[in-house]
Amino acid sequence: MSDSAKQPGQILKQNMWTANPIFMQILGICSALAVTNLLSNTMIMTLGVVFVTGMSNLTVAIIKSLIPRKVRMVVQTLIIAFYVIIVDIVLRAYLPEISRNLGPYVGLIITNCIIMGRAEAFAQSNPPLLSLWDGITSGMGYMGVLLSIALVRELLGFGALFGFQVLPAGFEPWIIMVMPPSAFFLIGVITWGGKYLMHRQGEPVLEGE
Amino acid sequence: MNKQSLPYTVVFSFIVCFAFVFLLSLTHQATREQVQLNQQLRLQRSVLSALAIDYQDDQEVLQLFDDIETVERNGMTLYRIDRDDEVLYARIFAGSGLWGTINGVVGVNEDVSRTVALEIIDHNETPGLGGRVDEPEFKRQFRDKPLDDGKIDVIREGDTEGVDGRINAITGATGTSNAIETILNREFERLRDALRGEA
Repeated sequence: MSDSAKQPGQILKQNMWTANPIFMQILGICSALAVTNLLSNTMIMTLGVVFVTGMSNLTVAIIKSLIPRKVRMVVQTLIIAFYVIIVDIVLRAYLPEISRNLGPYVGLIITNCIIMGRAEAFAQSNPPLLSLWDGITSGMGYMGVLLSIALVRELLGFGALFGFQVLPAGFEPWIIMVMPPSAFFLIGVITWGGKYLMHRQGEPVLEGE
Repeated sequence: MNKQSLPYTVVFSFIVCFAFVFLLSLTHQATREQVQLNQQLRLQRSVLSALAIDYQDDQEVLQLFDDIETVERNGMTLYRIDRDDEVLYARIFAGSGLWGTINGVVGVNEDVSRTVALEIIDHNETPGLGGRVDEPEFKRQFRDKPLDDGKIDVIREGDTEGVDGRINAITGATGTSNAIETILNREFERLRDALRGEA
């Protein structure tokens, strides 16, 4: 991957589209399966990821010159865990209902490969503000894909959007959309669609032809 | 200073850990009361629902809960309230559902011949199938439902409205429906033992 792009605009385009963490790098898809059956849960979860990716990138970039090489990854993990636990505590105190719905998945943001990936690949070698921006846009790339999956799943699985019934009462919900496997199919479709569009636009495609 | 040396690495790791953990415990302390209040409110809301008491907001929950007495019977914690010349009890239960534990509260009258209401606290049933135990349509069936010979019977077809002890099963969720039947009948048994001699 070319991390030589140092322009904020380029970073945005890369993270949201040409090197999107989900459908180009296939990172962080475990949570994409687990938390996408209701839009409101997905929204909070992905906002948490945007916050954690941004802040951990910023922190790593600030203290990177002080970190001894031997403990570099341990320190990164510590920083990531710190922000994730902050998110967890805040949700538990102020949004208890959503915190209960998300269950263990908030804590599992720590293991989301996107965050560690950005800290290693970008924040280690770039200035703080640019790293913050890179983290936020990577999180947004993740958010965009997850929200589109959740949109389809909630609409077809519950006939609702953000908890509001939008389809008529006679609509028969698709049980498969409520279950995790449907997210697999949708990720597949999104990956296919995304790559097809990129080919059409003549963008250099990341992986094997 | 050599940043790759062992002493530096040890001191650096210590300081970094200390700083982050210190900040975390500050955050934890600052929100602890709110978290406890949330947990307490959740329990109280469930107990009120199981006793068929309506509430509007959190303030009202705390207020209404003051009228409820907590009593110990046979080592079980029961929530008790006097209403309309009768005594009602609620009990928090836990039992195995299809995928995991179903936690809830069930309200009964004094001789356990009728349920007052049912509230589910949490469950891990299949969303959209067994998960519908937590939907009003299912729970509403337990509003003032007379039991049949001290039991409920979850049935897949036939009339349930006005028939003692009969509850409509959840379509496509036989496992969960059977689990609810088993859990509740066991709870009724225990409650009867505990409340024997009270009336």
